[in-house]
Amino acid sequence: MRTGRARGSLAIGQPARLTRRSLLAGAVSAAALGPALASESSALRFGLTPVCLTDDLELLSRLRSYLSRSAARPVELVLRRTYQEITALLVSGQLDAAWICGYPYVEYREQLALMAVPVWRGRPFYQSYLIAAAGREAPALADLAGDVHAFSDPNSNSGYLVTRALLAERGERPESFFRQTFFTYGHRNVVRAVATGLADSGSVDGYVWQVMSETEPKLTGRTRIARRSEWLGFPPVAASRDAEGSVGFRALQDAFLSMGEAEEGRAVLTLLRLDRFGAPELGDYDAIAAKADLVRTLG
Amino acid sequence: MKPGAWHPKNWPLTLKVPILVAGLMVGVSLLVTDRVLERLVETQERHLDALAGAYLDGLSSAILPDVLRGDVWEVFDALDRAGQLYQDLNAVETVVTDADGLVIAASDPRRHPVRTPLSSAPFAAPVPDRVIIDEAGGEAIVRRVLSYQDRPVGAIHARLDVSGLLAERRDVLVTLLATNLALTLALAGIGYVTVRRMMRPLRVLSTHLSQSQQGPVSLIPEADLGSPGTEFGKLFRRYNTMAAAVNEREQLSERLAREEKLAGLGRLASGMAHEINNPLGGLFNAIDTLRRHGDRKDVRDRTIALLARGLSGIRDVVRATLITYRGERTAPALTRADLEDLRVLLAPELRRRNQTIDWRNELLVPFVIPGGSVRDVVLNLLLNACAATPHGGAVALRCRVEDGLLHIAVEDGGPGLPERALDYLRSPDASRAPVGDRSGLGLWMVRRLVDEAGGRLEVANRPGGGARICLALPEATRTRQRELRDVA
Repeated sequence: MRTGRARGSLAIGQPARLTRRSLLAGAVSAAALGPALASESSALRFGLTPVCLTDDLELLSRLRSYLSRSAARPVELVLRRTYQEITALLVSGQLDAAWICGYPYVEYREQLALMAVPVWRGRPFYQSYLIAAAGREAPALADLAGDVHAFSDPNSNSGYLVTRALLAERGERPESFFRQTFFTYGHRNVVRAVATGLADSGSVDGYVWQVMSETEPKLTGRTRIARRSEWLGFPPVAASRDAEGSVGFRALQDAFLSMGEAEEGRAVLTLLRLDRFGAPELGDYDAIAAKADLVRTLG
Repeated sequence: MKPGAWHPKNWPLTLKVPILVAGLMVGVSLLVTDRVLERLVETQERHLDALAGAYLDGLSSAILPDVLRGDVWEVFDALDRAGQLYQDLNAVETVVTDADGLVIAASDPRRHPVRTPLSSAPFAAPVPDRVIIDEAGGEAIVRRVLSYQDRPVGAIHARLDVSGLLAERRDVLVTLLATNLALTLALAGIGYVTVRRMMRPLRVLSTHLSQSQQGPVSLIPEADLGSPGTEFGKLFRRYNTMAAAVNEREQLSERLAREEKLAGLGRLASGMAHEINNPLGGLFNAIDTLRRHGDRKDVRDRTIALLARGLSGIRDVVRATLITYRGERTAPALTRADLEDLRVLLAPELRRRNQTIDWRNELLVPFVIPGGSVRDVVLNLLLNACAATPHGGAVALRCRVEDGLLHIAVEDGGPGLPERALDYLRSPDASRAPVGDRSGLGLWMVRRLVDEAGGRLEVANRPGGGARICLALPEATRTRQRELRDVA
């Protein structure tokens, strides 16, 4: 059932936009493009989703450099516009590992194995924020009714599922509660949409918002947090269950878990504003799984 | 000042030429400014059209798929990036609408919220697919319909800030006007200075000519003549030649006038000789009678009375002659007796020609005017009148004072004055003396007397034949009197 949905989704998945692709092709690696199989090349393919600030080219460059050095193998970073594309590539074994969101992880829990979990501010948890324009009085969710609302990605936990579940608890759907919704396919874009007034409110990853409040305080300064969710499992690094225990899996897992030990790795952690990557705890994602079930049940 | 002095016809050349230059420059500058601005506007609009076209083309190719999907974020993101890419264009805001005219995304989402009808000005009014410039607002509105498979799927509306272009137009206009104004003023100034320089020789000439009205014509000094090759050098030399000729003629006229007077004197002298000679025979007879019959008292008394009458006649003649031709030239006034003396002087001539005179001398009190000059002139007129009148004819003299003017009229019974003499006496130009005509010299003297005394001269040929010359002379002031003493 789940697999079927995933395949169906994959079939209608949109191709990456030319502009974005060419931008990243230059920044990351031309070799990262194309359906090269792992068996044909010794390179490891690592997928990234906008759970972190993938707009930061310095971060991407340093992460790739660190992973390559640490795993002692070339590493290609693979970026796609949507979570769904990365999830599909990961599940189908076209990626050795990927930093995905908790929501796709719980949806594909049978096919995926956790590799590492980021530790942020001492814990492997983060929050989802409902944000609104800085000057706006919106202390409760009800105040956001009739808004133009910006979601991050339909497969994002913090940027969609949390708000969706919140509305489902009240017997509402986003289409009925909000006047208009749209997806920006990036947490940073949600902040931009709300800051510029394109959207009245947005659902955004609390970790990304906090990092942005350091790197782009002008942008986040034009938004305010209307509601914080409970603490939820931080987006994990996962791999296909088939690859669990392989040489590549272990090499990447070691690289993540020992990131704080090498200078280059510490630089990556500093850019990510993370303490370290830790060993995964499966129970951390039960709350997200419960929300996914709620949404599925209530529609 | 005459009312017509301000009429443009009467303006000096030094004013006319700069005004003409300034006028031409203003015309030229208006034309040039108009053309330059027109071209500038054309160029700017073409430039703006091209720039806006490139902007809209780039934008529409980027967002068309997103518009088809109604993807709010991608359209907004494309607008955001395009705004940074096309900074030359100064797009104030750009709005993308769908086929229903609802906003998909705008560069300023607060002004144009998502999924609202695009109604706020200035996009509300339908705009054709070209740049519309709103000069007052300093903005241009441009719209591009997005089509997919020949169906309109949406539109891009952009508001461009063209205040830079408009400011450039104003700058060009101000620069042109300032430059043209400066040029106009400079050229008018140069025109003024140039014409003034060119007119300087004319002013020299004009000054000398106006001086010549008050006295003898003065020559332009050698230093002012300039090069003989230039137009004015030639003109000045010709003027000097002419002035010398005029002065020479003036002197000749005066000499001729003196000769005329001497000739008249000769005529008078011969008349006087007759006048003295005629009674002399009678006087000698009377002396013979006294010798022979002096002892007879009645004869003696009668004869002595005869002698006394004869001698007193001679004395009158001699005295009148003496007064006229000697000492009395500086007489301060004209008296009745002065005119009566003329009658005595004229008597022999009248007798010789068997003519009569109608003499009406109504001058009762002395009239303040240089008597000698007036007497000379009147005697001359009377002699001329006698000469013009045939034997046995009549001449006339009228003299009276009326309205403070001394009126003296002389009439003759001749054929009338020739046309040339009438023209001369009536002409306002005193310098046209009829040289060479002896009878004309008398008229020339009359004319000079009247002109210098500030009087009036009326000349006419009477219907019944004969000429009539009337002088109307005002009383002389002291200074004027001194001047007039030299006349004639």
